[in-house]
Amino acid sequence: MTIANANFDLAIPWRVALPLILAVMALYYLLPKPRNRYVVAGSAAGLFAIVLAGVWLTRTDGAPIAEQFLFYAFSGLAILGGGLMVTQRNPARAAISFALVVLNVCGLFLLQGAPFLMAATIIIYAGAIIVTFLFVLMLAQQTGFSDADDRTREPFLASFAGFALLGGTLLVIEHTFPDSRPLAELITKIEQAVQDKDELRAITEDKQAFVAALHHEESRHKGSVNINKFADAITDLEATLNPQNPNRIQLSRDLSEMLAVGRKIQGENAAKPLPAANVAGLGKLLFTDHLLAVELGGTLLLVATIGAIAITSRRAGRKP
Amino acid sequence: MIDNPNILVWLIPALPLVSAVITALLGSRVLKSYSHVPTVAAAAGSCVLSVLLLLGLALLDGQQSLQLKIDGFKWFSTHVLPGDAPLRFGALDIRFNLQVDSLTAVMLIAITFVGTFIAVFSSGYMHGDPGYPRFFAIMSLFLFSMTGLVLADNFLVLYAFWEGVGLCSYLLVVFWFQKPSAAAAARKAFLVTRLGDAGMILGIMLLWARFGNSLDFDTVFGQAALAGESSVLTLACLLLFCGAVGKSAQFPLHVWLPDAMEGPTPASALIHAATMVTAGVYLVARCSRLFALSPTAQLVVACIGGVTALLGALIALTQTDLKRVLAYSTISQLGYMFLGLGAGLIKDKLIVFAVAAAIFHLFTHAFFKALLFLSAGSVMHGMGHVIDMRRLGGLRKVMPITHWSFLCGAVALAGLIPFSGFWSKDEILEAVLQAGEHSDAHNTVYLVLFATALITAALTAFYTFRAYFKTFWGELRIPDEAYHHGHSTPHDHAEPNDHQANDDRQKSFESPSSMTLPLVVLAIGALFVGLIFEGATHWMGDFLAKSAVFVQFHGYTPEHGFDWLMFGLSMLCAAGGVGLAAWMYLVKPGIADTVASALKPAYNLSLNRFWFDEIYALLIVAPLTLFATVCRLFDSIVDGIVDLVGLLPRQLARGLQPIQNGLVQFYALVTVVFVAAFVIVFALWIRQ
Amino acid sequence: MIPLSNYLIVGAILFVLGMIGFLTRRNLILMFLSAEMMLQGVAINLVAFSRHHGNLHGQVFTLFIITVAACESAIALALILMLYRQRQSLDVSLWQDLREPGQEPALDLDEPPPSIEEKLADPKLIPAGIEPARPREDSYD
Repeated sequence: MTIANANFDLAIPWRVALPLILAVMALYYLLPKPRNRYVVAGSAAGLFAIVLAGVWLTRTDGAPIAEQFLFYAFSGLAILGGGLMVTQRNPARAAISFALVVLNVCGLFLLQGAPFLMAATIIIYAGAIIVTFLFVLMLAQQTGFSDADDRTREPFLASFAGFALLGGTLLVIEHTFPDSRPLAELITKIEQAVQDKDELRAITEDKQAFVAALHHEESRHKGSVNINKFADAITDLEATLNPQNPNRIQLSRDLSEMLAVGRKIQGENAAKPLPAANVAGLGKLLFTDHLLAVELGGTLLLVATIGAIAITSRRAGRKP
Repeated sequence: MIDNPNILVWLIPALPLVSAVITALLGSRVLKSYSHVPTVAAAAGSCVLSVLLLLGLALLDGQQSLQLKIDGFKWFSTHVLPGDAPLRFGALDIRFNLQVDSLTAVMLIAITFVGTFIAVFSSGYMHGDPGYPRFFAIMSLFLFSMTGLVLADNFLVLYAFWEGVGLCSYLLVVFWFQKPSAAAAARKAFLVTRLGDAGMILGIMLLWARFGNSLDFDTVFGQAALAGESSVLTLACLLLFCGAVGKSAQFPLHVWLPDAMEGPTPASALIHAATMVTAGVYLVARCSRLFALSPTAQLVVACIGGVTALLGALIALTQTDLKRVLAYSTISQLGYMFLGLGAGLIKDKLIVFAVAAAIFHLFTHAFFKALLFLSAGSVMHGMGHVIDMRRLGGLRKVMPITHWSFLCGAVALAGLIPFSGFWSKDEILEAVLQAGEHSDAHNTVYLVLFATALITAALTAFYTFRAYFKTFWGELRIPDEAYHHGHSTPHDHAEPNDHQANDDRQKSFESPSSMTLPLVVLAIGALFVGLIFEGATHWMGDFLAKSAVFVQFHGYTPEHGFDWLMFGLSMLCAAGGVGLAAWMYLVKPGIADTVASALKPAYNLSLNRFWFDEIYALLIVAPLTLFATVCRLFDSIVDGIVDLVGLLPRQLARGLQPIQNGLVQFYALVTVVFVAAFVIVFALWIRQ
Repeated sequence: MIPLSNYLIVGAILFVLGMIGFLTRRNLILMFLSAEMMLQGVAINLVAFSRHHGNLHGQVFTLFIITVAACESAIALALILMLYRQRQSLDVSLWQDLREPGQEPALDLDEPPPSIEEKLADPKLIPAGIEPARPREDSYD
C-alpha cells in the first residue's frame, strides 16, 4: 500500500493530478442535475479516486497496523460521507451523511489524542446542530422536495476549481512534509558505515550512487532549516570521496558529521509527545492562556442567542 | 426737536431691516398669519421718524444749507502700496455714511408713508396666501433698501441699495413663481434694468476716475463744478441717466414695467408705481449739479422724458387690463418727471424750480398712483382676481369705498383743480415753458416738448376716466370668478346660486376694512397733499430749494407767479380729456368701438404697445438666439468628442456587467477560482 | 505512527468537498451544511498540528471553532427561516435582486427533472398536530 516500489514511483505532480481528475469526473457525474447524471460511473470514479489518493498520497511511516487500519477507515469514511453529502439530492439524507462525516472526524480526533474534542464534537455537531438542521428542513419542506434540490449551479467549474485548489494544497503539503523513509534508510546506512568497515568499503565502492542518493535527499528537504548544513556536509564528503583511495579517518569524520545533520533534519518532522492529561490540560489552557477568548466566546453565544430570537420573532405589525 | 438725530436717521432703514430678518426667520414657523405685524410696525416707525426728521429740518434756520451728515463706518478701502507700479488712479476709500437734506426727507416721507399703508392693505389682500410671511419679509427688505438708497451719501452705497431694490422688485414680481408668466416677467424686469445699471456703474467709475478719486456726492459735484463743462462730464451724466432710464422704465427700456404687473398688486403699488421706479428721478435730481453743467445731457433727459410721457399715454389709451393701464400711466408720469428735470437749465443756471417741480410731482404721484393701484387691487380682490375691464362694469354700487377712492385717484391723476396732480403737473408745464422761452440753444425743442406735455395731460385725463367709467359705471358686470373665489367679506357665506342672481348681485363685494382703511387715507392724501404742500403755500418748493444740492450751487429760483394762461390750458386739456371719456363711455357707450374701427391702424399700434416687445425680440433676441444655436452646435461637437472618450469605458463596463448577476454562489465561485490559481502558482514556485 | 501530512491531506479534502458543495448546491440548508464541513476540515488540521507540536493549543482553537460554529448555525438558521417565510422556498437562486440593473435574472431554462419523490420513498414526517392517514375504523354502531 505504499510507494516502496520504486518502479511504480510516478513523479509527484502526476500522483497528485490523477486522483484529482478522477474526483472531478466523479463529482461532475454525481452532482444532482436534471439529466445526464451517471450515478454508477461517478461512484466508480469517486471510489477509484479515493483509493488512488490513499495509495499515492499517504504514508504509514511504520505505524502499528491497528492505527493504520483505523486511520484509513476513518478518513475513507469521512471523505465518502463528504462526497455523499455534496451529491445527495435529498437534503435530509445529506444531513445524515454529514453526521457520518462528523462521526468519522471524531474518530480521527481520537487517533490524534483529543478525546475531549471527540466527545464535544459528537455532542454538539451530531447531537445538536444536525438535529436542528433536520428540524428546519422538516419545517421548510413539508410539501416535499423543491425543484432546486435537483439542480446545481456550475457543477463542472466549481468541481474543477475546488480540486485545483486541493491540488495546489497537496503539492505544498508534499513539499513541506516530504517522505522521511529514504532519509531514514540513508541514516541507517551511514550509521552502519561508521561502525562497520565492510559497509564503509561498500560506500566507497559505490560512491557515485551514494552521493546521488544524498543529493536527492537534499532536493527533497529544501523546506528544512538545516538544509545548508546538509549541503555543506555533502560537499565535504564528496571532496573526501573523490580521490582514488580516500582517507579513512577523514571519511569517517565526515560521515559522523553527516549523521548528525541528517538526524537533525529527521528530528524536525518528528512528533513530540502530547501531555497525558487531555481534559485537565485543555481546561488549564482555556482558563489561563485563552481566558479572554473564552469570555468573548461566551459573549458571542449570548449575542447569537438574542440575535436569533430577535430575527425570528413575529411581532405584530412587523412584516417579515 | 432732534436731540440725537444720528440714531433717528440710522433707525429709519434699520427698523425695516430688523423686521425683514425677523419675518424671514420666524415668519413661516412662529408668526404665520401675523407675519405682517413686524413690517407694518417697522414701516409705521420709520414713517414717524421721517416726519420727525422733516419737521426738524424744516424748523432749522432757513439760511443755512439743510444738510445733515451722519458719520457711519468704513465700508472698505484700497491702498496704493508704495512699491507698486504707478497706478493711474488713486486709492478708493468708501465709508458707509448717511446724509439727510430736504430732498431726502421728502423722499423718505413718500416712501414710508405710502409704504405703511400699503403694508396694512397687503395684510388684507395677501391674507391666506401660502407665501404670506415671504411677502412681508421682502416688503421689509424693500423698505430698508429704498430708505437706504435715498439716505446714501456716496455713489457706491447708493448703487448697492439701488441693486437691493432691484432684487426686491425681482422677488416680488416672481412672487407667484408657479406661474410661468410671472417667472418670465421677473426675468425680463431684472435683465432690462441690469442693462441700465451696467451704464450706471460705468458712469460711477468714470466720475471716480475723473473727479477727485472719490465717490462722495459733495466731492464729486465740487470737482465737477471746478472742471466745468466737458464731454467726459456729459458722458458720465448720460451713463448715470442710463441707470435712471432702466430703473424708471423710460423709453427705450420701458418694456419691463407693464409685465412686472404679474406680481401681487400691493407690490406693484409700492415698488412699480410709488417708490422704486422713482429712484431714477431721485438720482437725476440728486445729481442736478452735474446735469446742470451739461446742457446736452439735460436736453437728452428732457427729450427722453417727453417721448416716454407721450408714448406711455398713447399706449394706455387702449389697454383693457386695468393694471396695465395704470402701469403705462406710471411710465408716462415718470416721463413727466424727467421732462421737468430736463427743463432745469436756463443760460447755464440751474432752475431749482424745475427740479422741485419734478420731485413734487414724484411726491403727489406716489400718493395717487399708489391709491389707484390699491383700488385696482381691491377690485381684483373682490372680483376673484379678474382685472380685464371688458368683463367688469358698474362696480360703484357693489364696491362703494373702492369706487370713491379710485375716483379720488383718478381726479388727482387727471390733473383737475384743485387736486394734487394739478399742482405738480402745472409746475412741470410751467418749468418746460420757461425753458422754451428763455433757453438760448434749444428753444424750439423745449416748446415742442411743452406741446407734447399738454397733449399728454389731455390723454392722461382721457385714459384715466376711460378706465374709471368702464370699471365703475355702466351696466353691472361681475365675472363668475367673483363668486367662486373666497373673499372674506361676511356677506359671502351664502352659496352662490345662479337662480338667485338678482338678490345675489346686489350684495356687497367690498373688501375688508384692513384694505379700505388705507384706501381712505391715501385718497385724502391724493386729494389734498398738492394743495397743502404747494398749491396754497409753496412750502415744498422753498423747502426743496434749501437742499444742499441747490444751495451750494449758483442756481436761481424764479418767482412763483400764478400763470393764468397755463392754468387755462392745463385745465382745458384735463377737462377735455375727462369730458371726452365721459361722452364716449358714459353717454354713448357704442361710440368707442366706432372710433376704434375708424382709426384702425392707430388703434392697433396703441393696442399692441407700438410693437416694442416684438421689435426687441427681432433685433436683439433673435440674433442672440441664432448665436446661441451656433454655440450649441459647436458645443455638441465638443461634447460628442468627450462622450466618445467616455464611451470606451462604458462599453467595457457593459461587457463586465454580466459578472454582477446577483447570485451569491457565483461570486464565491469567482473567489475560489482565483484562490486556486494563486495556490497553484505558489506551489509550483516553491517547488523550484 | 501516522505522519502529520496524512491528516492534513484528509482535512484539505474535506475542506474542498465542503467548498464544492457550497458553490454548487442551491438549497440554503445544504449550503450551510457544506460550510460546516469546511469547518470540520479545518478542525482536523488544527488537531493534527496540536498532536505534531505536542501541545494543546490546536485543540483549544478547535473548541473555539465549535463555539463559533454553534453561534453561526443559530443565526444562520434564523436567517434561513426568515428567508423561507418570504419566498416559501429554500432555493438560494431566488435571491438575486442585487444584480446589475438591466441584467436578466438567471432562470432555470431546461425542463424540470423527473420527480424524485417516487424514487426516494422515505417515510414522510407528519407535521405535528395532524392525524396520520390510516384506515378508518368501523364505527361501533
